[in-house]
Amino acid sequence: MAAVDMPIAGGHAEDAHGDPHANYLKASHGIRSWLLTLDHKRIGLMYLTMVCLAFLVGGIFALLMRIELFTRGRTIVDGETYNRFFTLHGAVMVFLFIIPSVPAALGNFFLPIMIGAKDVAFPRLNLLSFYIYLIGVVILLTSIVMGAVDTGWTFYTPYSVQTTNSVISMTFGVFVLGFSSILTGLNFLVTVHTMRAPGISWSRLPLFVWGMYATALIQVLATPVLAITLLLLICERFFGIGIFDPKLGGDPVLFQHFFWFYSHPAVYIMIVPGMAINSELIATFSRRAVFGAFAVAMSSIALAILGFLVWGHHLFVAGMSEFATMSFSALTFLVAIPSGVKIFNWTATMYKGSILWASPMLYGMAFIFLFTIGGLTGLFLGSLSVDVHLTDTYFVVAHFHYVMMGGTVIAFLGGLLYWWPKMTGKMHDEFKAKIGFWLVFIGFNTVFIPQFIMGSRGMPRRYYDYLPQYEPFHQTSTVGSWILAAGLFLTAYTLLEALWKGRKAPRNPWGSAGYEWMTDTPPCLANFHSTPTMTRGPYDYHLATPEELATGWDEVGGDPSENKKG
Amino acid sequence: MSAEAPHVTDHDDGAVHVHIASTRFYIGIFAALVCLTIATVKVSYYDFGSANIIIALAIAATKGALVATFFMHLRHDKLFNTLAFLAGFVFLAIFILLTYDDLGVRAKQMPWSYVQHISAETGELAPGGEPATSATQDDVNEEGPPKAGEPAKGEKKE
Amino acid sequence: MANVSETAAGAVEAGHDDHEHPGFLKHHFDTPAQQYNASKLGMWVFIATEILMFGGLFCAYAIWRGLQPEIFDQAHHFLNKIMGASNTVVLLFSSLTAALAVRSAQTGKRNLTSFYLIVTIVCAAAFLVIKYFEYSHKFHLGLLPGHCFGHPKLSAAIQNGQEVGTCLRVDVNAAPVMPEWVKAIDEEGHVTVLSPRANMFFALYFVMTGLHGIHVIVGMSVLAWVLYKNIRGTFSPAYFTPVDLGALYWHLVDIVWIFLFPLLYLVGKPE
Repeated sequence: MAAVDMPIAGGHAEDAHGDPHANYLKASHGIRSWLLTLDHKRIGLMYLTMVCLAFLVGGIFALLMRIELFTRGRTIVDGETYNRFFTLHGAVMVFLFIIPSVPAALGNFFLPIMIGAKDVAFPRLNLLSFYIYLIGVVILLTSIVMGAVDTGWTFYTPYSVQTTNSVISMTFGVFVLGFSSILTGLNFLVTVHTMRAPGISWSRLPLFVWGMYATALIQVLATPVLAITLLLLICERFFGIGIFDPKLGGDPVLFQHFFWFYSHPAVYIMIVPGMAINSELIATFSRRAVFGAFAVAMSSIALAILGFLVWGHHLFVAGMSEFATMSFSALTFLVAIPSGVKIFNWTATMYKGSILWASPMLYGMAFIFLFTIGGLTGLFLGSLSVDVHLTDTYFVVAHFHYVMMGGTVIAFLGGLLYWWPKMTGKMHDEFKAKIGFWLVFIGFNTVFIPQFIMGSRGMPRRYYDYLPQYEPFHQTSTVGSWILAAGLFLTAYTLLEALWKGRKAPRNPWGSAGYEWMTDTPPCLANFHSTPTMTRGPYDYHLATPEELATGWDEVGGDPSENKKG
Repeated sequence: MSAEAPHVTDHDDGAVHVHIASTRFYIGIFAALVCLTIATVKVSYYDFGSANIIIALAIAATKGALVATFFMHLRHDKLFNTLAFLAGFVFLAIFILLTYDDLGVRAKQMPWSYVQHISAETGELAPGGEPATSATQDDVNEEGPPKAGEPAKGEKKE
Repeated sequence: MANVSETAAGAVEAGHDDHEHPGFLKHHFDTPAQQYNASKLGMWVFIATEILMFGGLFCAYAIWRGLQPEIFDQAHHFLNKIMGASNTVVLLFSSLTAALAVRSAQTGKRNLTSFYLIVTIVCAAAFLVIKYFEYSHKFHLGLLPGHCFGHPKLSAAIQNGQEVGTCLRVDVNAAPVMPEWVKAIDEEGHVTVLSPRANMFFALYFVMTGLHGIHVIVGMSVLAWVLYKNIRGTFSPAYFTPVDLGALYWHLVDIVWIFLFPLLYLVGKPE
């Protein structure tokens, strides 16, 4: 870090939060110091715990579903239970896991550090957002006790109005979770605007922060529409107001418009943070400035805005007018431009880079590969004529899993491994992490490549039973899900093991030039011991001093062999 | 983007400085708002055809702009706050226009009034299907209120 | 709503008496100006989210009005323009007093701030009272949303099978075919026709004004809390952020009503 001025007046936060210079994990003690903390890092860790639990729950539903599909007919559960499984898998994964995963957990932790701030702009709001999330989780999960929901996570009317199961508690839970998401987004927007340290101009903003900023834009602009949609759905069930009910002159397709005006931008709430992490991974492990970093930053903003213009492609076969289908199809293809900018720029960044094959980088590479497949298959679905054939088939399922799981989850895992030393102060075992990566990568493709094939051959999604010709594909897919699960459990074990057995992590184990690596490991309560003044960008490897790029292994004892350049 | 505070250098002393308008100025704005309210009610007693809604919304937009600019201090506030406020309207416009584009066009493609078409057998909307054939249905499908309502129209003129 | 109280609460919560920093300045901000700008931006972003939340209803309104203009035209005569206009003026006046409350907080006149806040809250209550009269009249006539529209159980006049002030004999939910248009007497005493499909107009009317009414109640609570803080002497010309944010929220409530009033009460052919 270049210049240092303005020492933080000690004692400011001392009695409330602890010594600002102490390690944030040790600045205060006891369960209350966690539950009532205003420290964005601790809130981030609490979020991380919750989203990982949600991932586990959603994953268990996915495994049960895959086991059910292993054979034709009944394998372990009946059809109605199967419907509940896929609804809960979708709702838990989307609303409880992916949407808060990167922004609320990793973003909360690293966004303030990366802009040299002591905290987010509204720490209490941040904590409130976490508790609103918890309340939403509780309400949503009560719907399981009350008989679960079998509408699918999209709650399409008129079925969601007519069905007797607990749609209200599920939608109300999602409604509450929406507020949590809005508050996080609002907090991030204001933080990026008003809390940047001296020297961090917009042009020096790390790409992770740009991604969080674009995500926050979508969160605050799209989520309110989800709130009103679900409110109308609840009114529909309570009072029969009829806006979505054809019997009363309403229109169920209008519900789809409302729902997807949120839920399509929500896809970008899910994937843009993944891209944001990936920009950091690729830069750090290639030892190069991100190629066209400004274009990558702007492509995040472009995705955020274009995401609002394309929701109609979910309605191509719902009876939309021809003009609308054509215009939405054309707009959908525009999304390929900013996505392409990112893919090409990451690839160009690696060109002649000094690549370090650490486990986070493996995830970074996998992201580029899997997201490209997910993105390009999206173009198939955006073409009107092809979409008629592929709508509601396993092709769609495979497509969005390649984007959501192959994109966001892979980036989330990469980000976790990348930042784990900074967050916990402990190094994980790279060997286990790499094995975990390969299991995840192979397992993931084994699950979803067969789904592409059977989808294009007409296997409809959400079906409990299937024709004999799909059996080999379903069985391969189910076996893949076990490999994937093994990889995920191994990765989880690797990370948790590091907490107990891991070696002490140095300040900058990956030798990155990023701002977040300039502070202690783990960071002190105030993030930096004094307000930092940045004199270079976060990817300026040519301007970074050797001390800044030093891993600091010598301080904690020896550079282990697996962290040498490969 | 240049409008927001780059940390400490925002003001020399870092204290809050705001523009304070006079009480009379605020009362003047209120008077203008009341005049516009009276105007919009008065105008509603005249028929300008399809311009009715445009006039009403134009007056409402003027009133909203007065409130936002002066009561909410946007006039002397950071530019980015205005952008945030307007962004809400821009994205709302996207939402309404693209949704309306679909439903408006969809309804016109159907020869009968879209939302009024109810299947005689099931009582449910029959989008894209053949119009139901009951006499009641045909009456309703004609333009405007059905014949049954016509005498009523005559009555109300008295 | 949450963030009004929350940011404000965050800001009000006294920090620590430090020789450099005033008590209201949170430890993670460097200057009062930075804190003030952050709070203001947060509120404006929140206002944008509110616009989009109401926006869903405006979108539904635009679509149904576009599809059935004649039904909306007839149905809107069943709303009372005079009551709507009075409510508009009441809200505009409360907006004025909210703005003046901010002004007096900025100039350090504490008692005057309290006075203006009280007037604002009283106006909000008056708005709700007028709304109550409007609602109860609609309930009486059976002008209700969705399947409750003209529901026989909800109107004594209907049970008598007479056209006393209402037309709404038809249970739209039970009707096997599209019910016929029926005669009714509107707010100005004219006999007119009303389609049972006017249920959509009243669905939108109740949801839009109902959601707005909830915002009025939330706004009253926020302003009451600001009033409490003001009486305790928390605010000064150097620190008046909660008054400012509470007033911003209140102006938003006003702006929403400024659009609701003409869309529900005024547009359509005059009688």
